[in-house]
Amino acid sequence: MPLLEIKNLHAKVGDKEILKGISLTINGGEVHAIMGPNGTGKSTLSNVIAGRDGYDITQGEVLLDGKNLLELSADARARAGVFLAFQYPVEIPGVSTSQFLKTAINAKRRQQGKPEIDAMEFLKLVKAKIKALGIADDMIRRPLNVGFSGGEKKRAEILQMTLLEPRLAVLDETDSGLDIDALKVVSEGVNALRSPDRGFLVITHYQRLLNYIVPDHVHVMTGGRIVASGGKELAETLEAEGYAKYQAA
Amino acid sequence: MAASLISAHPFGDAYAAKAGTLSAGARIDALRKVARTEIGRGLPGPKNEEWRFTPLNALSRVGFIPAAAADDVDVTVVPSDVPRFERAIRVVLVNGTFQPDLSDKISGIDIRPLSDSDAALGQTATANLPLVALNTAFFANGLAISAKGHQPLAVHIVSIGASGAEPVAFHPRVLVTTAPGAELTLIESHVGLPGQPYFANPVTEILIAEDARVHRYVTVTEDCDAFHIATTGVTVAARGCFAAFHLGLGGSRGEGTVRQEIHARVEGEGAQVHLNGAYAIGGGVHHDFTTVIDHVAGGALSKQMFKGVLDGKSHGVYQGRVRVAENAQQTDARQLHRALFLTAGPSVDVKPELEIAADDVQCAHGATTGSLDPDHLFFLAARGLDPETARMLLVEGFLADALEQIGDAHVREVFGRQVAGWLQRRGGAS
Repeated sequence: MPLLEIKNLHAKVGDKEILKGISLTINGGEVHAIMGPNGTGKSTLSNVIAGRDGYDITQGEVLLDGKNLLELSADARARAGVFLAFQYPVEIPGVSTSQFLKTAINAKRRQQGKPEIDAMEFLKLVKAKIKALGIADDMIRRPLNVGFSGGEKKRAEILQMTLLEPRLAVLDETDSGLDIDALKVVSEGVNALRSPDRGFLVITHYQRLLNYIVPDHVHVMTGGRIVASGGKELAETLEAEGYAKYQAA
Repeated sequence: MAASLISAHPFGDAYAAKAGTLSAGARIDALRKVARTEIGRGLPGPKNEEWRFTPLNALSRVGFIPAAAADDVDVTVVPSDVPRFERAIRVVLVNGTFQPDLSDKISGIDIRPLSDSDAALGQTATANLPLVALNTAFFANGLAISAKGHQPLAVHIVSIGASGAEPVAFHPRVLVTTAPGAELTLIESHVGLPGQPYFANPVTEILIAEDARVHRYVTVTEDCDAFHIATTGVTVAARGCFAAFHLGLGGSRGEGTVRQEIHARVEGEGAQVHLNGAYAIGGGVHHDFTTVIDHVAGGALSKQMFKGVLDGKSHGVYQGRVRVAENAQQTDARQLHRALFLTAGPSVDVKPELEIAADDVQCAHGATTGSLDPDHLFFLAARGLDPETARMLLVEGFLADALEQIGDAHVREVFGRQVAGWLQRRGGAS
């Protein structure tokens, strides 16, 4: 069974159809990249997979391990193994990063019928992971994302992904706002998580990110449809030639 | 003028006769006489500017009897949800009357029954307020607390309200005086037992001498159909410091009306007033923070931060007045009120007033009202948090910077637990 199967997905915002029949299959261990110009529905696709309100799904299915995600609330999808890395992670004043991380870990553990994580175990786990991601120790004591630089926010996202061990990670324009050093760190964090029982959907405008997170499959999306698919070399062609020929088509 | 007063109220001659307030000496008797005349004119009505958001019409219609006249109230234990504080002497009042059997043994600190020799009584700026007059007319027995030097033990006053078959009113009076350089921590828990409504009308006067510091931490959790109208009058001498945090919680068991009114007079150069608070209310609860800071000396500081979380059909009020006299140059006065609505039902009224006669000052006020941010809720959902857990986390986060104003780490932790308890009780409601 594929890890993720999207079948003929149509979605509207108000009266406007944004996704016009997306089909995509991701198997365990695969990294798929979706590239496309702005305003083509890439972020809508990631939001629809994650279960954000405000989209009207008019047709199609999204199956994770054969289970229809569209019937689940956003939080239930997350606990089922969907992780959305946000393009713009929100700042939440007053909620410390560590308190948030612990709550998120415990939400997942409760789902799995496990007891809440022990305070010492939690600290040990987080300390080990932040070191690997080059995150400053004091970050977890600070309010979530408040005053974090663009790079710190994205590292925090990867830290959350690492701790929550999703089945499917959707990276929505993770490269936006990152300088080259931060991009490398974030990419290394993602690469460290690649495994046969995990799939990635990497959404990006630029090919730059895909130099570091090398995809198995690349899809071109314009006008709410996937108009071309290929291997990693497709990303390089796009970088050289742009999206014009797909948009004209 | 008449329209601004409620002349029909339960605190007339019949009440006075039942109250049986004994003569306490010439000074107190004289204060009472003035106060009785004041009350005879009426309670503040809905057209009274200071009371228009917290009208006393409903209170005035309840047939309160003096607590001393209720012979069917017998409180033998302190409710289990009243927290114990470390390094604090617990002093328990039931309907305003000191209960030695429920209290800790008093030692190491000067706490006495209020007497005619307490010349400071009635000396803070609040003496002419109508609800203070009501207290002065009828307080049955009060407490005088005097601090010298650094008091290692805090005083924890637990004030329990309880009615029998008839609704009772009571008027606790506390006078705190400090020697120069003294430091005192005062903790108060105002709680109520369910049943008939009651009316708690506490008045606290705090005189802070030069270089003295008073830390005050108050919780009002009268989670029943009670009226709690509390007034505090504070004076702060040069380099003295008053740091207070008030917490109001309610809404799971009744529709109480709470007003916490604090008047602070900054009388000496370099004095500081830190007045902060939080409230979390639901149901039909009404909660009012009213503050008046008078800067009459220069080079002083007053900082206020109040935050409210409102659920159900509750109503919050913040009235903050700051007056800076002409000679109070280089005053730094700030106030902030922020409210968070958990549903579409609640409302708030906010009235900041700055009256500044000096020209070299820094004064600022701010007020915001909002709901939980859908982007925050979605972010937390995308990390697996169910809506209830997400809301609780965000509400705790909203209140966090207010609670951080509590200087004492232990008190901060206890107050934090009380807020968390409120959230858990309300948790299911959306």
